[in-house]
Amino acid sequence: MPAAEQQLTTQNLVRLTSRPKSANDTLRFVFVGDCQRFYDEAEDFVASVNKQRNIDFVIIAGDISDFGLVREMRWVHHRLRKLNVPYLTVIGNHDQVGNGRAVYQSVFGPLNYSFVYGGTKFICLDTNGREHGFQGQVPNLGWLGQQLADTANSRRSIVLCHVPPTDEDFDPALALAYARTIRGSSQLVFHLAGHIHRFTNGQPFHDGVPYLTAYNFRKRRYTVLSVWGRRQFNLETVAYAPAL
Amino acid sequence: MRPHFNALVILLLLLGPVAYAQNDPTPNRHGPFFLTVQIGGGQGLVAVGGGCWLANQKLEPEVLIGYVPPSIGGCAMAIFTFKTTYTPYSPSLQNGWQVSPVSVGGFINYTTGDQFFLTNKSAGRYPKGYYWWSPAVRVGALVGARITHEASASDLNVFPRRTTFYGELSTNDLHLVSKLTNKSLGLGEILTLGLGLKAGGR
Repeated sequence: MPAAEQQLTTQNLVRLTSRPKSANDTLRFVFVGDCQRFYDEAEDFVASVNKQRNIDFVIIAGDISDFGLVREMRWVHHRLRKLNVPYLTVIGNHDQVGNGRAVYQSVFGPLNYSFVYGGTKFICLDTNGREHGFQGQVPNLGWLGQQLADTANSRRSIVLCHVPPTDEDFDPALALAYARTIRGSSQLVFHLAGHIHRFTNGQPFHDGVPYLTAYNFRKRRYTVLSVWGRRQFNLETVAYAPAL
Repeated sequence: MRPHFNALVILLLLLGPVAYAQNDPTPNRHGPFFLTVQIGGGQGLVAVGGGCWLANQKLEPEVLIGYVPPSIGGCAMAIFTFKTTYTPYSPSLQNGWQVSPVSVGGFINYTTGDQFFLTNKSAGRYPKGYYWWSPAVRVGALVGARITHEASASDLNVFPRRTTFYGELSTNDLHLVSKLTNKSLGLGEILTLGLGLKAGGR
């Protein structure tokens, strides 16, 4: 595998941070998920995002691949690398099937990672509890708590994962503790997930924390999220073709 | 399966032809068996094995054991393959050479390792029907071409009776499904090149 197609998370973060952004500016990014085996749609998606203005980057909420195959992740990358902006991913359950977990780590990078951009800390983590046999280790709540508590360089936080805590593929023993950990952050804007293939925006834990889920590629729609101030955000839906 | 065990199996199979070559040749007899070494082709970085010729050496059922190193697969893997290749015509040139413009075939293989579960049930963590495919089992198809050299009786002390060098392009069920559901995926994107050598027949 060419070096240009390894450790894409690091590569995209280098590209992103080469265009610094002040914490006082509005951050605008595309939120979509589950591109698994939608290569035709991926090309249309890229064409649409490249027409948008003032987009900082794209977030893919997991399930980059359908079968966890290295070739699939590269097929997706061969299309998404044509985006004018960097894209960042988080691991989905399909990305862990077979050797997927090792493949994801080699093509993209760590399963749990965080970065700060435009005053906003993004905490991306593996929440695919079922893939780990519901052993009580995934998601890693200790790591999540540390990441949320460490707010030295940021004024806002956003959590991104694939399986939302309300889903049956999330480790049931950890769901409430997870929501409690998230709720404990005073600078959290919202929680982002994928997996259910449709856009939702609600407060399932009735604690004031918005939980959003992403359209999958097949819907031919994506959400543009704008974040500013302490915890203000706005969302717009972009449709790039009639939904199938 | 541990990688050094895989390596040992492969070593034994590679040593096979050496032991084989020490037998007295019986020039008048065509043995049906051959050994195979293959690079790539979706059966492992390197695969070794053997099979037998049927139907006037047009049909070649064979069994291969392939090895995928951690640098490629993330962890060491062994792949067990049953493969059959059909080569309908092999026109003869001079000096015992034959060129076969086309071979077709199919394979089914099994990849070792806990992460390659056989069924949702055997994995023990999924509800019924959670994933529709088995990560452990792949089926595929291939097309290829080859050149074959038939040794003359005087050369049988040194060479196997038949030596075939082949190349093939294969795809598997998951890559094919991806292609069939996406117009933008090129044929080249789902093909895998394999090169190999088959020798035997004494």
